[in-house]
Amino acid sequence: MEIKAIGCEPLQLKRVGMKDSHTLKVYQETGGYESLKKAMNMTQDDIINEVKASALRGRGGAGFPTGMKWSFVPRQSPKQKYIVCNADESEPGTFKDRYLLELDPHSLIEGMLIAAFALGSQACYIYYRGEYRYLIDIMDKAIEEARAANLVGKNILGSDFSCEVYTHTGAGAYICGEETALLSSLEGYRGHPRMKPPFPAIEGLYASPTVVNNVETLTSVPQIIEMGGEAWKKLGTEKSGGTKLWSVSGHVKKPGVYELPMGYADMEKFIMEDCGGMRRPDKKLKAVIPGGSSVYIMNAEQIIGKNVTLDYEGLVEAGSMVGSGGFIVMDETVDVVESTKNLTEFYKHESCGWCTPCREGTDWLVKIFNRISIGEGRPEDAQLLLDICDNIEGKSFCPLGDAAAWPIQSAVKRFPEDFKKWLLNKTNDNGYTANV
Amino acid sequence: MSTELIKVTINEQEFEVEKGAKLIEVCREKGFGIPSFCYYGDLALQASCRMCLVRIEKMPKLQTSCTITCTDGMIVTTQSEEIEKAQRAMSEFLLANHPLDCPVCDRGGECELQEMVMDWGDLEERFVERKNAQPEKFLSPIVANDPQRCILCKRCTRVCDEWMGEEAIEAGNRGVNTVIGTYGGWLGCSQCGNCIEVCPTGTLLDGVYRHETRPWEMDQTRTTDVYSSDGMQLSIGSRGGEVHRIVARDRYVNGLNGEFLDVKARFAHGFINSKDRIKTPLIRYKKGGKLIPSTWDEAIHFVGSKLKESGNNVGVVASSRLTNESIFTLKRFATEAVNSNNYAVSDAYDLAPFFDNLSAPLCTHKEIRHAKTILLIGGEPEEEQTFTAKQIRQAVRNGGAKFIVVHDTPIRLAAQASQFIHVNKGSLDAFALAFADQSDATITKKLGAAQTEIDDLLKTIGETEGDFIIMFGGDLSAEAQAVLANVAGSFASDTRRALLHPLPLYNNSVGANDMMAGKKPLEEVLRTSKALLIAGSLPEDKTDLLANKDFVVVQELFETATTEYADVVLPAASFAEVDGTFTNNAGFVQRVRKAIEPIHQSKPDWVIASMIARELGADFGYNFSSTMVFKAIADSVPAYEGLRYPLLKDESKPVQAKYSPVAKRDLSNEFAALRRKVEALPETSEKITETPRVGHKLHRVTTMTGKTDQFHLLAAGNPKPENLLVSPLVQFNLDGTPRLVEMAEAASVNVKDRIDDKETVASKVVLK
Ligand SMILES: Cc1cc2nc3c(=O)[nH]c(=O)nc-3n(C[C@H](O)[C@H](O)[C@H](O)COP(=O)(O)O)c2cc1C
Ligand code: SF4
Ligand code: SF4
Ligand code: SF4
Ligand code: FES
Repeated sequence: MEIKAIGCEPLQLKRVGMKDSHTLKVYQETGGYESLKKAMNMTQDDIINEVKASALRGRGGAGFPTGMKWSFVPRQSPKQKYIVCNADESEPGTFKDRYLLELDPHSLIEGMLIAAFALGSQACYIYYRGEYRYLIDIMDKAIEEARAANLVGKNILGSDFSCEVYTHTGAGAYICGEETALLSSLEGYRGHPRMKPPFPAIEGLYASPTVVNNVETLTSVPQIIEMGGEAWKKLGTEKSGGTKLWSVSGHVKKPGVYELPMGYADMEKFIMEDCGGMRRPDKKLKAVIPGGSSVYIMNAEQIIGKNVTLDYEGLVEAGSMVGSGGFIVMDETVDVVESTKNLTEFYKHESCGWCTPCREGTDWLVKIFNRISIGEGRPEDAQLLLDICDNIEGKSFCPLGDAAAWPIQSAVKRFPEDFKKWLLNKTNDNGYTANV
Repeated sequence: MSTELIKVTINEQEFEVEKGAKLIEVCREKGFGIPSFCYYGDLALQASCRMCLVRIEKMPKLQTSCTITCTDGMIVTTQSEEIEKAQRAMSEFLLANHPLDCPVCDRGGECELQEMVMDWGDLEERFVERKNAQPEKFLSPIVANDPQRCILCKRCTRVCDEWMGEEAIEAGNRGVNTVIGTYGGWLGCSQCGNCIEVCPTGTLLDGVYRHETRPWEMDQTRTTDVYSSDGMQLSIGSRGGEVHRIVARDRYVNGLNGEFLDVKARFAHGFINSKDRIKTPLIRYKKGGKLIPSTWDEAIHFVGSKLKESGNNVGVVASSRLTNESIFTLKRFATEAVNSNNYAVSDAYDLAPFFDNLSAPLCTHKEIRHAKTILLIGGEPEEEQTFTAKQIRQAVRNGGAKFIVVHDTPIRLAAQASQFIHVNKGSLDAFALAFADQSDATITKKLGAAQTEIDDLLKTIGETEGDFIIMFGGDLSAEAQAVLANVAGSFASDTRRALLHPLPLYNNSVGANDMMAGKKPLEEVLRTSKALLIAGSLPEDKTDLLANKDFVVVQELFETATTEYADVVLPAASFAEVDGTFTNNAGFVQRVRKAIEPIHQSKPDWVIASMIARELGADFGYNFSSTMVFKAIADSVPAYEGLRYPLLKDESKPVQAKYSPVAKRDLSNEFAALRRKVEALPETSEKITETPRVGHKLHRVTTMTGKTDQFHLLAAGNPKPENLLVSPLVQFNLDGTPRLVEMAEAASVNVKDRIDDKETVASKVVLK
């Protein structure tokens, strides 16, 4: 398991290798909380402008420009404003936030405090996925340490800025990573997404203006304040600023969390050299899901010799998305029908059930995959799968429906051979046939 | 809503619409059909069924028209290949796991899913997989449930929450396993059945009507509720002279209450065709003897001769359950047939002090929904005037109204209040005095509330722009009611209307007060008359007064404590068997229509009274036509002047009787009497702290509700049966004690048990 930066100085990963990196002492020795002090001498507008200038885009998956999101908050509103950190990290293939929460908790606290200061908020919540409960003590201790140092709580650093930071866990639902479902869950309701508009920036937690940001988004903020938005942006490209964490898993020699500058060239080199190449040298690269399970799966032809850059624009051009940066590499032993069935089961299991297309569609899709897997696939099933996906995509209440459709659509189109095997010969490579 | 007009283009046609209008409503109004399930007017938006998708220019993706507010220049397409595909797709998804066995479903024939799929869906089935299945079960004695038919539109959970304030049902589980369920597996709610009504599919079902007939086999008759003074409009479903169910489904009836009804209005109709109905006239020839069946001719003749003997010592009592036509006729019977001024209404709550001092307009239920401030003094609308309570809840929840409750009991509705003035037990009169006469600060001592609380209330009223509504009922003394009704008008200003809303107890309490001008107190009539004609039974605590009367005639549906004193009992027709009108607490004069012919030999109360009158030589000139009776009412009751049945035909446009507000008059006598009452209240008094149980009034077993078995179980505390798959009526005796031992075990035995041990399994099901 590698945790390192390639092609840039480690920023997100600056402290992860240090002993006691989670303590306030180490954090402050390495420049921690200086950005907060700096920010508290800036105006709110200046802070937001720095974040805008950095071209930081949300690292939770949707990639929305963070500075713009912050500027939507009506700061003059008499209502309480909230900063909510999305630490639900449940996207299959994604495990970067965990290391930040575990090894560098203060950078998240500092990022939240800067956001809170910039938006006039006095309360921050960190929403952990249920399965990360075991990490929460680390954060709670860090918050207490920060409080003891007058960095959290009343009159921070002797100023009239007061702000609390709270932790909270979900109960194991993927949908609670979706920002509005997260807010419902945080308020104690069923974890259902809510209607947008109103967007959380206007009516979020307790119907008050709220910014929801991913862990990595928020830990970028102290860096941006420290070096200035322009400088931070320059680490990456014009439209995709800064550096980004990639959670690499699958059939490579060195899986792990890699920090790459945005625009890193290229994807093939990253897999074949930086990540150590294919785990079994005799097996060829077959597929990559570059941004967590909810993006289009890519086949080898889309990568090899194509100079795909790792940034928002590069991956879209290559036929996929950055998403959450959950980078899953598969070699030729993988049967894409089986891997897609597995993902479809995930989405069916995680569909919240609110809306018709996602609730019924994912159930139907799984039933079709189950039938295919016992050798009862029919040639027309490929078209049926695509049509069901088309009927879900763009028609569901929240993006989970789209996320369920995309992997299947891309798998059917980009791996027709695998589907042919199952639908025409009713078996896979291992000679498995149905027991009918 | 503002009246500013904006332009929208729908399917290339330009329209002017009100700013802020909902797109789905606009499209439908302009004749462009849009399918929907989860959208329901005046409920929180859900946007989950995804049936209502349309294309709006400049927006990515199809949009749900139920969530879109029209903006100027909006360009909308509701019909295109893309949209039709989406509509077919949603129908197909909804049917994927839905059983396709409509012939065994109670909703078949009036199911919105059936209709929507026929109109918009693809009829060719592509779903060849196994459907998810779940067993049918009961959620309460009244709510039956077939979970596999649910399309998760969540209309049910929203009405339960927003209309009823009960939050008794909610979705459980996740994804395709989501089910609408209860807390603890059983519904301990008020059993209003609104969740059943709004359910578009056969998922929540009327447990009283279950499997009795099919919707299309029933005649639907629009009529008015016979229980609550809200005058809810409903539809009686009957077949072959039998009433099978009552609904408020908007396909059959479109009244002031929409699809809202309560447990009594919707389910307590068993009395109509009850086997206990009195079948023929009955005569007790000798005091202490038995009631013996007779013919109508003989009975009327007998009554006539006996009443003649009593001269003008005859008293007449009418129940406020009866139609205006019957009550009016009974009054005429007193004054014209037996020359008597001794007539009364057998209602515990006399509305005369209210109406005689009406200083502000009566408010309608629609006005309650849109009120800015509502003051409730006493009463318990959530148990007695349920539709009023629903309107209050929505005014607060959806309209942001201020709601102030003044009560000696923390009633459930008080949880919704922005201010709750918790007064001492029995000291509502003191509040009325303090409110009407703000100069006297000593009263608050008796009240058990601080002066500041009253100041806060007055401040809220003072800040109100829009409608301010005062509601109260019969738990205030007559003087207090008079005083309150008389000061109400003085709260009106240029920017504020003051409105009054009484909380009477019966369906036609208001009408009875209108029909019986000059009525006397019930007790006085009972004490001073030698002979009595009583239509509908007396309150049980008054029946003693009938002992030692020369002659008592009772018009009734059932034998009751009152008929025990009767010399003659004449079988009366129920509300489902007569034409007429009821007047509700908003003053709406609404039609009662005959759904079935009178049961057995029963006759409408006004017909019976007219027959006796004719025997006594008085002819009211009705020609046995209720239209003529109503015309006579319109000619002699000022507030009803000019009304005719045809004017009352459309239940969606109810007609209000014209009560002329009285000017503020000198009330010093009432004030003095009220002050004496308040002074007599104890100085320090206890507070009631317990919130009354849901249904403590609604679920009471009475002569009428008791004929529907389910009410006995509700009154017995609505016990949860062990086996949810079998009707609770099978598992409990009516007093709530378990009836079938080991029923649950018997029904859940597995196949192996059945093969190995047939004998023991059968013997486990033992009737106790
Ligand atoms: C189904 C679904 C699951 C999501 N899960 C996560 C998650 O686990 N973590 C996360 O940060 N964002 C997740 N998101 C994205 C959030 O909705 C939201 O866009 C994000 O928290 C915004 O933060 P950012 O702008 O910093 O990325 C999810 C979105 C969807 C639709
Ligand atoms: S798409 Fe619909 S069912 Fe799926 S998670 Fe979102 S709201 Fe829930
Ligand atoms: S019967 Fe009424 S109170 Fe009970 S669950 Fe249904 S809607 Fe709610
Ligand atoms: S039970 Fe009926 S009303 Fe409730 S969600 Fe299901 S289909 Fe809709
Ligand atoms: S009616 Fe619009 S989504 Fe259901």
